[in-house]
Amino acid sequence: MDSSESPTETKKTKSKTPRKNKETVLKQKSPAEFFAENKNIAGFDNPGKSLYTTVRELVENSLDSAESISELPVVEITIEEIKKSKFNSMIGLIDCERVDAELYDDYETEKAREKRLAKEARAQEIQAKNAALGKKVKETPASKGIRGRGEASFYRVICKDNGKGMPHDDIPNMFGRVLSGTKYGLKQTRGKFGLGAKMALIWSKMSTGLPIEISSSMRNQSYMSFCRLDIDIHKNIPHVHVNEKRENKERWHGAEIQVVIEGNWTTYRSKILHYMRQMAVITPYAQFLFKFVSDAPEKNVTIRFSRRTDVMPPVPLETKHHPSSVDLLLIKRLIAETSKQNLLQFLQHEFVNISKSHAERLIGEMGPDFSPKMALKSLTPQQLVRIHQLFRQAKFDDPNGHCLSPAGEYNLRLGIIKELHPDMVATYSGSAQVFEGHPFIVEAGVSIGGKNVKQGLNIFRFANRIPLLFEQGADVVTRTALKRINWSSYKINQLQDKIGIFVSIVSTKIPFKGTGKEYIGDDITEIASAVKYSIQQCCVQLKSKIVKKMQAREQQERKRNLSKYIPDATGAVYNVLKDMAETQLHASKKFRYGDDDGELLRKVYENLITKETLSEKLAKHVEQVDYEMALEYATQSGVSEEPRETIYIKPLETENKIIDLHSPFFVFRMFH
Amino acid sequence: MTESITGSVLITVLFSIRSSAQILSPSRVKISVVIHFHFTPTLCPITAHLPSMAESSKKRRRTNTDDLPFKNKLKPDSTILQTLKDFSTSSSSSSSSSKTLTLQDLSLPFSCREVSDLSLSSVQSNIESLVLRIAHSILSGNGFAFDVPSRAATNQFYVPELDRIVLKDKSSLRPFANISTVRKSAITARILQLVHQLCIKGIHVTKRDLFYTDVKLFQDQIQSDTVLDDVSCMLGCTRSSLNVVAAEKGVVVGRLIFSDNGDMIDCTKMGMGGKAIPPNIDRVGDMQSDALFILLVEKDAAYMRLAEDRFYNRFPCIIVTAKGQPDVATRLFLKKMKMELNLPVLALVDSDPYGLKILSVYGCGSKNMSYDSANLTTPDIKWLGVRPSDLDKYKIPEQCRLPMTEQDIKTGKDMLEEDFVKKNPGWVEELTLMVKTKQKAEIQALSTFGFQYLSEVYLPLKLQQKDWL
Repeated sequence: MDSSESPTETKKTKSKTPRKNKETVLKQKSPAEFFAENKNIAGFDNPGKSLYTTVRELVENSLDSAESISELPVVEITIEEIKKSKFNSMIGLIDCERVDAELYDDYETEKAREKRLAKEARAQEIQAKNAALGKKVKETPASKGIRGRGEASFYRVICKDNGKGMPHDDIPNMFGRVLSGTKYGLKQTRGKFGLGAKMALIWSKMSTGLPIEISSSMRNQSYMSFCRLDIDIHKNIPHVHVNEKRENKERWHGAEIQVVIEGNWTTYRSKILHYMRQMAVITPYAQFLFKFVSDAPEKNVTIRFSRRTDVMPPVPLETKHHPSSVDLLLIKRLIAETSKQNLLQFLQHEFVNISKSHAERLIGEMGPDFSPKMALKSLTPQQLVRIHQLFRQAKFDDPNGHCLSPAGEYNLRLGIIKELHPDMVATYSGSAQVFEGHPFIVEAGVSIGGKNVKQGLNIFRFANRIPLLFEQGADVVTRTALKRINWSSYKINQLQDKIGIFVSIVSTKIPFKGTGKEYIGDDITEIASAVKYSIQQCCVQLKSKIVKKMQAREQQERKRNLSKYIPDATGAVYNVLKDMAETQLHASKKFRYGDDDGELLRKVYENLITKETLSEKLAKHVEQVDYEMALEYATQSGVSEEPRETIYIKPLETENKIIDLHSPFFVFRMFH
Repeated sequence: MTESITGSVLITVLFSIRSSAQILSPSRVKISVVIHFHFTPTLCPITAHLPSMAESSKKRRRTNTDDLPFKNKLKPDSTILQTLKDFSTSSSSSSSSSKTLTLQDLSLPFSCREVSDLSLSSVQSNIESLVLRIAHSILSGNGFAFDVPSRAATNQFYVPELDRIVLKDKSSLRPFANISTVRKSAITARILQLVHQLCIKGIHVTKRDLFYTDVKLFQDQIQSDTVLDDVSCMLGCTRSSLNVVAAEKGVVVGRLIFSDNGDMIDCTKMGMGGKAIPPNIDRVGDMQSDALFILLVEKDAAYMRLAEDRFYNRFPCIIVTAKGQPDVATRLFLKKMKMELNLPVLALVDSDPYGLKILSVYGCGSKNMSYDSANLTTPDIKWLGVRPSDLDKYKIPEQCRLPMTEQDIKTGKDMLEEDFVKKNPGWVEELTLMVKTKQKAEIQALSTFGFQYLSEVYLPLKLQQKDWL
């Protein structure tokens, strides 16, 4: 085998090498090409995940767009399944029947078929046996037709919002040019790189070849833009099919984006639904309508996540850089972009936490070559390095969190209550803290009980108000909740209770780990301790509630719990007494016991005292003790309860009998 | 009897060929021995490949183990035996001369609670008067409560003069009409009734039996066991006087003959596993032995090694193990052996905090059973090995040592504060070394030089050097 194969091998390589040499030409790649080749960076690993990421990117864009004009978001997402034949007809391809069956990957050979039939027969036998035994049989899924590689499924994803809309002429560039965006700059944003919608377009081009369709209208705009375009991946420029103005009768503003992509609903169904649910938790002021439409009506899904509040977090402000977070390149860019002329003004206005006097001191520290009035353009590269060094070493106040827009304790709480309906919920919002010059705020919520919540820890992670669904295991929140919180000390049972843990982190720069932006590493002590503290604060709030609940329950169940053991105790005592009475009689040792005891035993022997007598007496005692305890509890808890709210009820008759008691200093009015 | 003696002589004689140490008096040698004198030299070369025969395998082992580390330091067995004999006589004379102290001899600043063995009838009458009191209390409408001695750690006290833990006399009320004690008091009543039945019928049951009489109430055995201890403490008797015993756990092998329920047991003829230590000590008696010491082994594995190698025939001894934490029966048995045979006790435990803890339970008693510490503890147990200093002394390689966990280190540090450790400066030194090096090792770490290193080199060398604390 080896010897016969190796010559052909060498032949091949020989024939290849000269060709390779010819090709070593310097080539350039457009950003679009790069992302098309490395789509996993943007979360387009496989068809299923691509469907999920597409939905996610479109939803987040919609939210950003609506929030930017302070409009309460209304987002409608529809996923429409497209069968292969329908897809073919869409692109004008005629369905071809298979002629040469053996050509295909999923061709079933005679042997494989025998094997499969035998397996099915066996399965049926087992099922019949189980049914005969009366066991509850799990319905075995109808044997799926073997799915070949070519058997892709296609989906049309439509996302409609009531946001800002897009200027008519900018639309091609906004969708057809990778790494162009409106969200650059230092502020808390959901998206970051201007990649999302474009990646969806690239993916649709790669998998279906169909263009993207955009309808958009801005506020007070009489027309509606309609644009159909795709992207020229090699040049990273849009390729516009249609770009026209249409009538806008309803005065609608916002955007509607339609894209047809390959996907996999079956495997990513739960992820997409989870995403929507968690998004609803963190944005309770938005209204979502999610629809899945397919030919099979039983597969259809329609979920409405309704709005629960009108209070929207403020739009995050763009902030300036913190001196400790900038690098050399950034300093150069800031110098090139600034309108300020001299060094003093530059330091004072282009960074946070540098006041004028502070800037002067810094310039003094830089060395004799520097002066406050020196022109920015005259700075040499060496001098820039010096500034950078000083920024690294000098001490600056931490940036404050004003530029951040956390969901807010109120919204988080509402979101949790709205989507989970828990028995108890506690929330906590931390103050701003700093990691590497970027401020961050951690908010946490802990809930107990609720519907659709599993037993044990259910962790919901949010970063800049986006749910994080993947790579949960390594995340700082998961690690903290699992390893660093002693749940039992808060009277919470980590395994049995239905615990929901919600942690939302917002920052101008979330320190994501990995390429997928799916989790925050556990190695950042600042964030880890802030997360731990927030969760603990929630737990402390819960603990007092839980303890109170337990006490109340104990009150209710005390009598029952005490009475439960009466038969055991009296039975044991009575049996000993009975044995004693009998032996005493047989041995006729009448005077072994004292008078009282002898009398007691005689009564037991004569059945004057029975087990029931003892039980009755003990039950009476229990009742008495229970009554005393209840009284004590009532007097204690009456004092410790929170102040009650006074309620004023209007009398039914407006006519009032009043007596005024007059004194020199006041009037005392009595109502009857 | 005859049979058992010949059996032990057979092997002893083989040893004596090698070590020329005559342990048993020549008068006990019988005809069968003579036959073996004839046979063994000629048989040896032929049967060498038969592993089932103890003689043959012994031969082969000896040739292989000559290059074991420290083997060359070993003196002939006769010298070691002489050392042991001296030690044995000196220790027995010293212990017999000093009278064993009791609690009454000391004037302690507080009163202590101690229990004693009570007869069945007195246990029965104790229960009966308690039950009568309760019945009266119930009938008068006051419910009832047990006055249970506290067995909490705060109620324990180490008495250095006695070298054991004793229980102070604090007690707590266990009323029925209280949500936190209702369960326990119901269980206590039930256990009292069950023990009462045992007293009437005069039979023994195990703790497991007791648990199964009312599984629904007891829920798990820990609960019935705890209450059982409470009851024996409350009635002022030992747990064995309640006629409730634990399942057999400990085993003994070696030069010991005793009667168990009237049957004579020869512990040299119990095979490799040894004789299980009977759960109720009152049926054990007539102890006889020609051993020079008692070897306490923590682990089953080390015990098996020694039993299989018939270590007790090379150096006459009694080997005991309770397979980990000792149960009551093993502790009572050890105490009885020590008292009746007056032998020194040497302990072979792991070099970790738990090994020392086990040693302390044998020596000073456990906190759980401190009310009965007078009957359960064996004073003056020597720590033979494996001690932290042995790890370097015997050059145990790094891969056989384990790093101590946080928990281990904490336990070790806590133990340094315990009085029973502090009273022995040697132990303090060893434990400090352990906590400092943060290394532990099991007895099995010695197997790194060969499975028989323990019995062939380590223990003999230890005995020769009188290396115990």
